[in-house]
Amino acid sequence: MTLLLQYVANGLAAGSLYALVALGIVLLYRCSRVLNFAHGDLATLGVFFAFSGITRGWPYGLALLGGLAGAAAVSAAFYRLLIKPVRQATALSLVITTLGFALFLSGLMVWAWGTDTKVFPFPLSEVRVFRFGGVVVSELTAGSLAVGLVLVAGLSALVQRTRLGLAMRAVAQNPVAAQLLGVPAGQVLAATWAVAGALGAAAGMLLAPAVLLDPFMMLDPFLKGFAAAVLGGMDSLPGAVAGGLILGVAESVFAGYVSVKYKATLSFVVIVAVLLVRPEGLLGRPFHRRV
Amino acid sequence: MRTAAWLCAVVLLALPLSTGAQERGVTADEVIIGTSMPLSGPAAYWGAVGRGMEAYARYLNDQGGIHGRRLRVVVRDDSYLPPRAAANVRELVERVGVFAIVGLIGTANAFAVRDYIVRNQVVWITPTADATMWYGFRDKKYLFVTYPSYVEEAKILVDYAARQLGAKSIAVFYQNDLYGQKGLLGAKQGAVRSRVRITAQVPYEVTQADVSSEAVKLRESRADAVLLYATPRHGALIVREMAKIGYTPKLLSSFTLGDPIMFTLAGEAWNGVISTGFFPLPGTGDSKVDEALAILTRVDPSLRTNPFNALAGWAFMEPFVEGLRRAGRELTKERFVTAMESIRNWDGQVIRGVTFGPDRRQGINRVFLTRAEGGRWTRLTDWISYPTGF
Repeated sequence: MTLLLQYVANGLAAGSLYALVALGIVLLYRCSRVLNFAHGDLATLGVFFAFSGITRGWPYGLALLGGLAGAAAVSAAFYRLLIKPVRQATALSLVITTLGFALFLSGLMVWAWGTDTKVFPFPLSEVRVFRFGGVVVSELTAGSLAVGLVLVAGLSALVQRTRLGLAMRAVAQNPVAAQLLGVPAGQVLAATWAVAGALGAAAGMLLAPAVLLDPFMMLDPFLKGFAAAVLGGMDSLPGAVAGGLILGVAESVFAGYVSVKYKATLSFVVIVAVLLVRPEGLLGRPFHRRV
Repeated sequence: MRTAAWLCAVVLLALPLSTGAQERGVTADEVIIGTSMPLSGPAAYWGAVGRGMEAYARYLNDQGGIHGRRLRVVVRDDSYLPPRAAANVRELVERVGVFAIVGLIGTANAFAVRDYIVRNQVVWITPTADATMWYGFRDKKYLFVTYPSYVEEAKILVDYAARQLGAKSIAVFYQNDLYGQKGLLGAKQGAVRSRVRITAQVPYEVTQADVSSEAVKLRESRADAVLLYATPRHGALIVREMAKIGYTPKLLSSFTLGDPIMFTLAGEAWNGVISTGFFPLPGTGDSKVDEALAILTRVDPSLRTNPFNALAGWAFMEPFVEGLRRAGRELTKERFVTAMESIRNWDGQVIRGVTFGPDRRQGINRVFLTRAEGGRWTRLTDWISYPTGF
């Protein structure tokens, strides 16, 4: 039993980060119908901004904020300069634009920071642990779970309770009508991209101390976040969170009791299975087409 | 008029002679060598080997090159993916026109390009791949290897764990590709020889970020010792995870983790790790290696953060450079092969004890053991030899 709980705890820790990544992907998809494949690289860029701040001796909090703001700014700029001009193009062109931007960003990071693996300093320790019965949870894991939940709650408040959130939802539902009613759709979308970029960077900052920092750090978490988004429903924010947590736990338990070798395959099996059985995802709205 | 015709004839006859003697990748003032390695993707950290090679070449060139020829190193990125390595090697041979391939990182990648290189009779120096892939393999005329065998190394590590550390059971944490699988194979063979049990075989994928459930799996195996065949990043992550959940077995690792960066990445958890080495590690009292590192970091200061791989780049190139020296100014592939075959018990600045011969392509067949303590490596044993395989 303790063993199972340990696997679940590990899964929840990983899952909360998948959820954060998935949230950024879903947020963008809901509002602008763009699948952003540069999400992971944008997140890593944010972490590197923060890392540079820390190594230059900035106060820690300021460096983290700088990283978040940097990722938000680059994300918004990406929308303004690249996505907006090609928005009328096909979905495929949009995806390819984001893929191209992802390649550009990873090249940029290699050039600017090199490929050496780096330790991202963090106030919480990976080695100091809490024990609940036989289950071990590190300070860092507990902390990132907590921060992850706070960020989820914050995002949900932003979307549900603020004017910006209302505008985001309006633009998501019907951009033309929203614009006719005076919602500055362009600005709202840029803001959405900024929020998604910052969310991704936050996930990256929680992940970097645990998995070490290099320009390709988000490769795997991005794919997992993507699988989580598909699992939860591409247009559902609560779905993204549920999808992330379920995928994290499923992976960990699968590795523990079924096969550690095929653990990495599980998330792709999940994508295929969900698309086959319930394409709208766990909490997404079913697709309807009016005739 | 007749003289002019004669002159023409002489010039025409001489032309094919001069170009015919021309070896691919060799000009009057340059030798081109190529290599493929991960400069991007999850194993990009190892790409520093390429920068080490380039820095070493620049250092040699600053001294006038070898027999008046400068070395040009062409490095191509394969993201640690075998299909891209195959495409890179084709490009290097057919388009760039290299004289030799030096290095080429990754056992799976080397395996993917092996047939092409052998079929096209390209000189290949030290693929950084498990050396057992050459056992029993024919057509190795243009191949020279100074890279240890993971299989033999794992046997030595298991033997040490059993005899010196008193381990009765061993678990293996390995990368799920040919690199890790060869380590696992060696561990299994070593376990039979040393009469210990392998209680768990835990693989990970090189793209994987989280290894927490792998750590739990290793703990559940209750093995006395854990053997690591991983990237520095995954090696560091797994020992940290194991320490976190209170599992502290004896730790042993491949020489690929005999890298000072492990102390930074894994911190305290790396103390006590037993690793192998195939060249003296920097900062362990070998002045020639320390001098080589000083040269490399002077030429390319960015290598300061990656001394181990920088020196590995030097070590892979060094026998090739010695071959060029011995081959003389009239450089052809055949003369180069003869020159390489004349190398016996040769000590380079970084690589030591290299021997080749007409029937011998495995230049080194020995490693030593070293122990990590307080941010330093301490050498534990003298050289431990294993039988030459090819």
